Amino acid sequence: MNDMPKVRLRGLYKIFGTDPAEALDHVRNGTSKEDLLVQHKHVLGLQDINVDMQAGEITVVMGLSGSGKSTLIRHVNRLIDPTAGEILVDGVDVMGLSEDGLRKIRQDKMSMVFQKFALLPHRSVLHNAAMALEVRGVSEADRTAEAMKWLARVGLQGYENHYPAQLSGGMQQRVGIARALTANTDIMLMDEAFSALDPLIRTDMQDLLLELQEELHKTIIFITHDLDEALKLSDHLVILKDGAVVQQGEPQDILLNPCDPYIEDFVSDINRARVLRIRSVMGPLNAGADYAGDVDADDNLESLIAVSGGETNKIYRVVKDGEAIGQLDMRDLVRALVPRVSSAQQSA
Amino acid sequence: MAFYDGLFKMLGLSDWCDGASSDAPMSMADLLAQSSGEAASGPFFPFPSLDNLNESCSSIIQSRDVTKGIENGFLAAKPALKTVLDPITQPLSWLLDGALWTFEVTPWFIMVPILVAIAYWASRSVGVTIFVAFSIMLLGFVDHYDVAMQTLSIIFVCTGISVALGVPIGIAMSKSDRLQKSTVPILDLLQTLPTFVYLIPLIFLFSVTESKLYGIAIILYAIVPVIRLTDLGIRLVDQDVIEAANAFGMNGRQKLMGVELPLALPNIMAGINQTIMMSLAMVVIASLVSAPGLGVNVLRGIRNLELGVGIVAGIGIVLLAVILDRVSKAALSRVDMTRVKH
Repeated sequence: MNDMPKVRLRGLYKIFGTDPAEALDHVRNGTSKEDLLVQHKHVLGLQDINVDMQAGEITVVMGLSGSGKSTLIRHVNRLIDPTAGEILVDGVDVMGLSEDGLRKIRQDKMSMVFQKFALLPHRSVLHNAAMALEVRGVSEADRTAEAMKWLARVGLQGYENHYPAQLSGGMQQRVGIARALTANTDIMLMDEAFSALDPLIRTDMQDLLLELQEELHKTIIFITHDLDEALKLSDHLVILKDGAVVQQGEPQDILLNPCDPYIEDFVSDINRARVLRIRSVMGPLNAGADYAGDVDADDNLESLIAVSGGETNKIYRVVKDGEAIGQLDMRDLVRALVPRVSSAQQSA
Repeated sequence: MAFYDGLFKMLGLSDWCDGASSDAPMSMADLLAQSSGEAASGPFFPFPSLDNLNESCSSIIQSRDVTKGIENGFLAAKPALKTVLDPITQPLSWLLDGALWTFEVTPWFIMVPILVAIAYWASRSVGVTIFVAFSIMLLGFVDHYDVAMQTLSIIFVCTGISVALGVPIGIAMSKSDRLQKSTVPILDLLQTLPTFVYLIPLIFLFSVTESKLYGIAIILYAIVPVIRLTDLGIRLVDQDVIEAANAFGMNGRQKLMGVELPLALPNIMAGINQTIMMSLAMVVIASLVSAPGLGVNVLRGIRNLELGVGIVAGIGIVLLAVILDRVSKAALSRVDMTRVKH
């Protein structure tokens, strides 16, 4: 992993209203979002956002509607200008770019996938997929070849000459993803890309994205309001509430150590056995232990429960790349399945 | 003794009022009152209009001076206007005369197939094409072919110019809220001003023998819908798609040509359809200022109370209107790629 983050947001503020600069002073002096709206008629969109997004990772920004997550992602390519703060992409301050420079960086460095697909209804699937290259001025033969390749990769072979309106929602979003992949940019911005799809197709698309990521290692910034989706996809999870970052870090870590009642509420509903990995709950190797078998560190708890047949008196050895790195007592596993909120209630 | 005498005395304006003795000619009402030997007696509390105030104070102008002032003002500005407008609009005369001449010299057995071919090319509909052929033959059958062609040639030229000017104006309006705010009142005025009123200043400016006179009147009236609907169409383009265009780094021209205009095309085509219909309506009125075509026969029907002549010409106009409407509507649904069937 590089030391230099691919995308770095520093002290980002966004205030909507007639005089954001003045409202910014109020916010910096401690006016809350509600007071700002009531007293100054300004809406606080984002508040002191500091996030580093590492190259080759999926950074998921999660929050409920109105938490500012869509506003946040639009700052990365400056579809929305911040009121204050820095946006660094590959170390370059996006705020300092000219209009041409900004257009260049949008063409060459980042592509975007939208919640409502935003395909051109009057162009064929092939033309839509090749759009980014057309904007860049790539020759017709080259961009067609490239677009065909990525359309096939997302499973749309044979649909090149259809129009978006002739495809289902899931297929339209595949075109959206093919369009972003054809652009061949390091950074992919995905704004609630799967939220408009029904659950089964959404799972398909998540698997497709993970599969593509395994081979392409793009820097993906993914917006969602669905915690399950966030936990499934993210390498780095950022949780937003009312325009501010509540907690960010490794998703397993957030799940096990929520730092805020808001996040505890959030994580209490999910299927922990499926989300938690063995590496997150294992303990150090203890030489005298009697191991019932070996398990992979990246497996989830659900699979181990299946292996153990539900017995809680076994201890497993945890291996990663053929090397033993720890052990897991099934009783620890069961304890980890209980959210902290309810365990706190028990001990009280 | 008029009603407002007291008011001017009270304000101490009597001297100023008497300064100018009224030498304006008397109004008809005054004349009648004088000849019948009694003072003109108005209502108990007359409205403080210019004429009523003038009775008490002759320094105040009369209402007829207002209309006269407008006329004199226009006449004073006329030479300047004419030097500017005459050369600019001269190509319009040439275009109109050229189109009229082309339609006239082309023999019918060439012209009719060309028109039918255009109808098929635009609409790609066999039904519409057959209807066009049948209508033109019918008009020719009652010896209205020549006048119908004159009307058609005027409409082609005027609609073409309206679209060529209107679409860019509409695009500019959609890009600038300020321009839109300042243009909309002008468009409202052009659309609501009684059509005859267009003609009066134009007659002052240009001679009635020039074809640009009616050309300008038709274009001013018919250009409004294409401007409005271009503006509307571009403003209605899905903001999500515009955002995608921005996110992929399109420049202004790429966005306009590749996204906005294609997606606004159904609305623009609807505007063009309306422009064609309105220029057809105006071409009849423009026959008052020597526009040739079916309108001349309509006018003859009214003037001489020749019922049959008027009705045949009227039905001819209806036929032309239906032809133009059906062809442009069929073309519209053909270009509407945003509603591809499943």
